[in-house]
Amino acid sequence: MTAVTTGPGLVLDVTETAAETAAEKRGRLATSADLYGRWERQQWAVAEVDPSRDAPRWQQLSRFARTQMLGSLAELEVGEVTVTHTLGSLIDNPPTEDDRIYLCTQLADEARHVKFFQAYLTDGCGISLADAEGTELEGSADYARVFAPELIAVTGALRDHPGDMDSWYRALVYYHLITEGVLASAALRTTRFLARRLNLEALDEGLTNVARDESRHVSFGLRAAQEGVAGGFAAVVEDSHFEAIAPAAWVLIGPARHNPAPAIHPALLSRAAQLRGAIEIARERLVKQLRLVGLAHLHDRAGRAWDEGIEVALDAYAERWGTPHPIRAAELAGGGGHHSTEGEHD
Amino acid sequence: MDGSTLRAAVRRVIGEMSPLGQRQADSGDRLIEDLGYDSLAMIELSLRMEQEFSLQAAQPEETLGIKTVKDLEDFVEQNAGTPADAG
Repeated sequence: MTAVTTGPGLVLDVTETAAETAAEKRGRLATSADLYGRWERQQWAVAEVDPSRDAPRWQQLSRFARTQMLGSLAELEVGEVTVTHTLGSLIDNPPTEDDRIYLCTQLADEARHVKFFQAYLTDGCGISLADAEGTELEGSADYARVFAPELIAVTGALRDHPGDMDSWYRALVYYHLITEGVLASAALRTTRFLARRLNLEALDEGLTNVARDESRHVSFGLRAAQEGVAGGFAAVVEDSHFEAIAPAAWVLIGPARHNPAPAIHPALLSRAAQLRGAIEIARERLVKQLRLVGLAHLHDRAGRAWDEGIEVALDAYAERWGTPHPIRAAELAGGGGHHSTEGEHD
Repeated sequence: MDGSTLRAAVRRVIGEMSPLGQRQADSGDRLIEDLGYDSLAMIELSLRMEQEFSLQAAQPEETLGIKTVKDLEDFVEQNAGTPADAG
């Protein structure tokens, strides 16, 4: 994981998954005051990205590429809308005043992300979010149907019990560590890879900006959780992770979304590797975050829980569509579809 | 659709979908080295072929060795159903 070393505390690049460097192991995660300073220096504007410049290229994409990208963008857009609506209760009840000030900057980021994805879908992809096509697209997002209700419930519980720090740390895990640290991180990385591969320059630029913001958000979550674990809230941080793992794994597989398994074997293996890549990135993020917050002893158990959640979701996919998911299809055809990040390290 | 027409249709699709830009594909062209197909482009090509030529899922041994345009022509000729909108 690449650490951004400007300033007094570490901010870890949210799209990187490598094991911790020595500097990260001995370094101090950025404080809320550090993160506020970065926020002032790292401003960007949706209008400057200008999503409309991708419109001609978007019209040239194959149906498969367009469907894949729209599905990814819908998941990200729905996720951003949900986190914008739910951050308030975390802002109202933080451990420190510095945390409150930092979280207010994050709320501005989330609003900008919503604007970016909505502008991209409208001006880049030509989708009107107000009409049936846009509604169907948003409604099909697995995050909206599976994880968003969970996040709304835990942040709602915090709103109902202000000052209850167990509720605050539970909401923090669902929000900063699972939604942003695991799901959004994996989605941003794979979507940005596809954007580069498909020459969608405005999308690449916008996703890079979003990923920089998300790196601050997840760093806040890691440092706050680290302090929570050290300060007597280890049990709720642990429990919250294990509650959230199965729905998070479900969202990444997306049993409700049809995923064609190519008939030609090399293409099937490539497709399986592509999908498994995102799942493995998310798994690596999950276990790495546990190590960083001081719960390294949960590494193996969390990995097993993640793998079980993936298998359950793959079973659900097969039941829903009457045909195996491409990952399973590749396994059945004698190819594991092992993670291959062809071109992803550019 | 007779065999030569089907093969020509396969070459047309492969040439149209080349990541290097639309071009004429010849039977001897290699998909990766000559026509620039990478993993994403292979997935797109497979799905388009299935749609246009009503292909059924293949056994791995039938398709693992596909490297050239001719290999794909052979595969489609052996596995094509009633074309949906080919030709």
